Amino acid sequence: MSDDAAEQRVVLSADGRHLELAGPWRLGELPRIGPALAPLRLQPPLTIDGGRLTALDSAAALALLRTIDAAGVSAEAIEWRGFAAANRRVLDDVLRRRAAMTEPAPRARRRWLAEVGERTTVIYRQGADHLNFLGEATAAFAELLAGPRRLRLRELTAQLEQACLNAIPVVILVTMLIGVVFAYLLGLQAEQYGANIFVVDGVGIGMSREFAPIIVAVIIAGRSGAAFTAQLGSMRLTEEIDAIRTLGLSPMQVLVVPRVLALLIALPLLSFIGLVAGLVGAALVADAMLGIPPAAFADRLHGALDIRHVWAGLIKTPVFALAIAIVGCRMGMHVGRDTRAVGLATTSTVVQSIVSVILLDAAFAVLFQEMGI
Amino acid sequence: MATPLPPVVEVDGIVTRFGAKTVHDGVSFSVARGTLAALIGGSGTGKSVLLREIIGLHRPTEGSVRVLGTDMWHAPAADVAAVRRRFGMTFQDGALFSSLTVAQNVAVPLTEHTAVDAAVRDDIVRLRLAQAGLHADDGAKMPSELSGGMRKRAALARALALEPEILFLDEPTSGLDPTTARAFDSLVRSLVDDLGITVFLVTHDLDSLLTVVDRLIVLAAGKVLADGPVRDVVRLDHDWIRSYFSVRTMLGESPRRTDGS
Repeated sequence: MSDDAAEQRVVLSADGRHLELAGPWRLGELPRIGPALAPLRLQPPLTIDGGRLTALDSAAALALLRTIDAAGVSAEAIEWRGFAAANRRVLDDVLRRRAAMTEPAPRARRRWLAEVGERTTVIYRQGADHLNFLGEATAAFAELLAGPRRLRLRELTAQLEQACLNAIPVVILVTMLIGVVFAYLLGLQAEQYGANIFVVDGVGIGMSREFAPIIVAVIIAGRSGAAFTAQLGSMRLTEEIDAIRTLGLSPMQVLVVPRVLALLIALPLLSFIGLVAGLVGAALVADAMLGIPPAAFADRLHGALDIRHVWAGLIKTPVFALAIAIVGCRMGMHVGRDTRAVGLATTSTVVQSIVSVILLDAAFAVLFQEMGI
Repeated sequence: MATPLPPVVEVDGIVTRFGAKTVHDGVSFSVARGTLAALIGGSGTGKSVLLREIIGLHRPTEGSVRVLGTDMWHAPAADVAAVRRRFGMTFQDGALFSSLTVAQNVAVPLTEHTAVDAAVRDDIVRLRLAQAGLHADDGAKMPSELSGGMRKRAALARALALEPEILFLDEPTSGLDPTTARAFDSLVRSLVDDLGITVFLVTHDLDSLLTVVDRLIVLAAGKVLADGPVRDVVRLDHDWIRSYFSVRTMLGESPRRTDGS
């Protein structure tokens, strides 16, 4: 039979009691069958003749039954006639399943207030869990003090290579550019007052107290924090963490401690590298734009940059490192057991650790202010 | 199972090499419409690779595959895409889209490939869930909330979405408890008997093989070792086949075997 668009799929007798189906009744034909069914005024008792059907699949049978239901005709009051055996089986199958099919219970709609409340408790619980995890990690470090031989040196070096050594190029690139931009902007202002040399003071203090630690911490949060969550999360997915526990080892000692320790070591070092790179960048601009040769820059820096500013910057970095490592590891260790959860947790780690770095930095600013540093 | 209908799957002279390793060395068989055929073979005999070659995911080194008359590796892309809409596939772990609910998973092929309106589509989704033996409420669940058996059923519901002519199932009962596995078997059987779907599955489940499968294709050493109705294949005098089915003999449950050796 040719597949003609104008071909009649349904023919209803004048009294609405005899419906004849024709042609292929398939899912792909539904856009054509649906409109043909819609205007029909079916009347019980109904006879349906399937003798001219060339095919009938369950989706099309379903569409037919929907129409019959909508017309208020009960399926029992229908006489099915002329259906080929295979089509009849499909029809019976759908009739049987449709009788057993129930409307799914509608999911409760959530109000915005409930949503806000739920999100708030999630954030609160998240924070409490992080603190809990920090406690567990501290206990693990205490264990380590009692028995230093528990330390996984191989894992620690691997993590140091990943988190510290491999991060050096990107840290240098970013902080040097920040130094360049910072010196340029300060230089534009200072030039107006003929106070070019004070750019060195500004860059030195700014880079060492704030920019180097913050910028490096943000880079590491994106690099290592996310990596921790992804690594530990996929290990949890493949039940590796369960295997570690079953073998009588502590996942805390094997996985978390080396990562936390690696970041605690890496971040101050990288921060110092960042500081130097930033100052080099600033010196380049000072030489080219402000007429301060590198020797004069170094001399002024020596005089203007008190060592306490450098310490004030560096002292913050282990705290940042701890926040990043704890968030990254906990999100990975407690991730849900499906692949999507790992992706969500990784994203969440980056956001959470950057936010906590900034919050901690603000706290430090207040603290240093009070202490007069 | 002699049927006059043309075969829906034709595999002809498949050769597959991975580097120097030859996995398939001239595999040929065909599957007739309306049969439930099973492919078995030891680990590493390339059952899953063969299945991937049939459905067009992995290119065989040599040979051709025809599904519903279309050459999966030489026909124009549009023809292959059209054929893909006429068969369904379930992967071992379900491969459900983890960001969508079960109902949305089943609805994906319907929204992408048909023009039915939303009300009809939702009704079809419910029918598919019922056909796969799931409750209507399960549709609202996320894949991560499902047990292994339900995951397989949800994958089956998605594979059924477009009312395929052929279903390819990769180890449909692996990892299921025997009761759930038998229920899944009878479900698959009813798809063949009631909806006229051809089913081609890769399995290791002896119970499936001995109860619901019509036709058995045995893959060994890169070739088709045996091909025919289950009761004939079981009787074949070959080491691998004998040891494969010997578990049954040990349990004293194989009245089909005749040789008493």
